Amino acid sequence: MKRAIPVLVLSVAGLIPLWRYAPSQDTGSSSATEAAAPASTPSVSSSGGTTTTVVSGSTIDTEKGPVQVEVTFDGDKIASVRMLRQPNHPQTTAAVPKLIEETLQAQSADIDTVSGATITSDGYKESLQAAIDARG
Amino acid sequence: MRRVEHVMGFPVSVRIDDEDFPEAPVDGLFAWLREVDARFSPFRPDSEVSRLDRGEVRDPSPALREVLDLCEEYRIATGGAFDARLPGRGLDPCAVVKGWSVQKGAELLSAAGARRFCLNAGGDVIASGGPWRVGVRHPEHADRLCTVLDLTDRAVATSARYERGDHILDARTGRPATGLISMTVVAPTLTEADTVATAAFALGAQGVAWAAAREHCEVFAVDADRRVLRSPGFPVAGAGFAAA
Repeated sequence: MKRAIPVLVLSVAGLIPLWRYAPSQDTGSSSATEAAAPASTPSVSSSGGTTTTVVSGSTIDTEKGPVQVEVTFDGDKIASVRMLRQPNHPQTTAAVPKLIEETLQAQSADIDTVSGATITSDGYKESLQAAIDARG
Repeated sequence: MRRVEHVMGFPVSVRIDDEDFPEAPVDGLFAWLREVDARFSPFRPDSEVSRLDRGEVRDPSPALREVLDLCEEYRIATGGAFDARLPGRGLDPCAVVKGWSVQKGAELLSAAGARRFCLNAGGDVIASGGPWRVGVRHPEHADRLCTVLDLTDRAVATSARYERGDHILDARTGRPATGLISMTVVAPTLTEADTVATAAFALGAQGVAWAAAREHCEVFAVDADRRVLRSPGFPVAGAGFAAA
């Protein structure tokens, strides 16, 4: 149970994007917004050597509404996850815009700063950004 | 005002154009970045990240939880190509920590009243106010640019192999990601831009469409065939920019 708390935190976070990106499973029969359950104290039951613990996560506000999950642990492992609350909002899927294809050019221009792959402090001295910083 | 300091192993350049902006908030920015390095570096055995990884931290701090939540969000969004927990390696949230911490640092400057400033953290840029003219380093020529953008109140990050080699792994295979030469992402925050750029780079060729489909993200990618693919909304600087 020592690791259960961080695992739960990750699980809650993990479910938000799952819900965001997975196609909507809403069949119409299940109401998207279920009754909010208060964050519960874990209920524990034992059977045959393993301990089953049910934990309700705290409610997390996402841009689409509140999300809360309930996780059932079988010992230290997650046995199942259930959505207690999820926003009643249709799934939005962004379309891939039509990408513009160009040839790679090597250019020079008067600029304020440079974006590039993370430069190390050692590499900085020789960089365009160092020249810009030195110019002031 | 301009200042350059080295934190987390990379240079951080600050330029603030507001008149008579005080030094203290800039000191605060660098103090915050040094604190992040001490707390979240996987290379420091005494950092919270290292202690969590060894099972010595039971309840991560809210800040670390935020970072781990972001890692998990992007792991799922990329189908596992982006993962802070690679098999056989320790927990490494660096790809998220950089953009996230610099974004928070920029918010410290804004909260102190800075309106027009430009923050460059080892190649990741936050443009506040603007427009700022931001060049994107050419992947093959360190002294040239492959494009220039006009950026206002947005951030841009680039992932590539030319500075630090094959440091981005595709967690699905455990091998270095080689589908792209360079991946540049513009987003409302650096947290988003930096993580999306790294995650897309890990995804390889399919990462271009993946990143372009994300809300508010604009991409400029150079694929393995040296082909440029950019989204129509990528803010390329307008007239007056001549190809040399």
